[in-house]
Amino acid sequence: MNYLLHIMARQGYALTFGLLFAEALGLPFPAAIALVAAGAAVASHTLSGPAVLLASMVALLIGDSAQFWLGRYSGWALLGFLCRLSMNPETCILRSAESFYKRGKATLIIAKFIPGINTMAAPLAGSMKMRFGQFLRLDFVGALLYSSTYLLVGYLSRDFLAATLSGFHAAGRAMEMIVITALVVYAIYRGVQFRRYKKYRVMPRVQVQELAARLASNDATRVLIVDVRSHGYYDSGSERIAGSIRIEPNNLEEEIKNLPKDKDIYLYCT
Amino acid sequence: MAHLLREKGFNTFVIVGGLTAWRKAGGHLESVPKDDLVKLPTFS
Repeated sequence: MNYLLHIMARQGYALTFGLLFAEALGLPFPAAIALVAAGAAVASHTLSGPAVLLASMVALLIGDSAQFWLGRYSGWALLGFLCRLSMNPETCILRSAESFYKRGKATLIIAKFIPGINTMAAPLAGSMKMRFGQFLRLDFVGALLYSSTYLLVGYLSRDFLAATLSGFHAAGRAMEMIVITALVVYAIYRGVQFRRYKKYRVMPRVQVQELAARLASNDATRVLIVDVRSHGYYDSGSERIAGSIRIEPNNLEEEIKNLPKDKDIYLYCT
Repeated sequence: MAHLLREKGFNTFVIVGGLTAWRKAGGHLESVPKDDLVKLPTFS
């Protein structure tokens, strides 16, 4: 604990600002832990409470505002990028937008406590044309609630944290075992997934030049090009391959009924 | 999806590189028709 407090004393404000700014930009940094540590440092009179709260608030508001404007100007492209990390990228954007809309603007106040929503909230607000002044007010309240909650936790649990940290050496070996076990389980999981999806890799593939040559031939009438992207259909001005049609990947059973069986179907995404 | 279509009896192929490869190769593009755009909720 003394070591941690020593670091906080030397770099406390910069560390708090940096970690919270990184988290606000969507990077996976332990900002909540930094706030708890800063709270403990305030309790031991190493840092000033108002100053650390200010550093935290400024970092969050700058990072969130950057995300807001990125969402506003990139349309749904930024969300498409963030959604690629999700389990189901095809539905991620739509689900996130609908959920955000249904829960209302107040979602911004609690968003920082919810993993996933935390990263998406600011760019979603930007993409969904929320007024910046309104966003800033709600985000201010959310940032204040988030910062003060974790600072308070650190402030009140300083003694508990000291006891916990002194046991870190013993916990170190247990942590090693947990990490090794997790790696083994992950390797097994990847192996099972590899075997399960092996059959999908035998799908016939064509190069674009091959397709272009076929489209220029007399055989072009037997070609149907199908766009199976989701993200390409949220922004006006999006482009697609000329003459292609769209299939909604989440409504495949219905869409199949309209597809001709006498044509060769060429699928593409981004 | 391609696998599912094959299972349903459609002669399906996957375009290597997708839209990005098509664009790079100088293939013809068109704007997504307005009627096809998915309307997402907005606060405005």
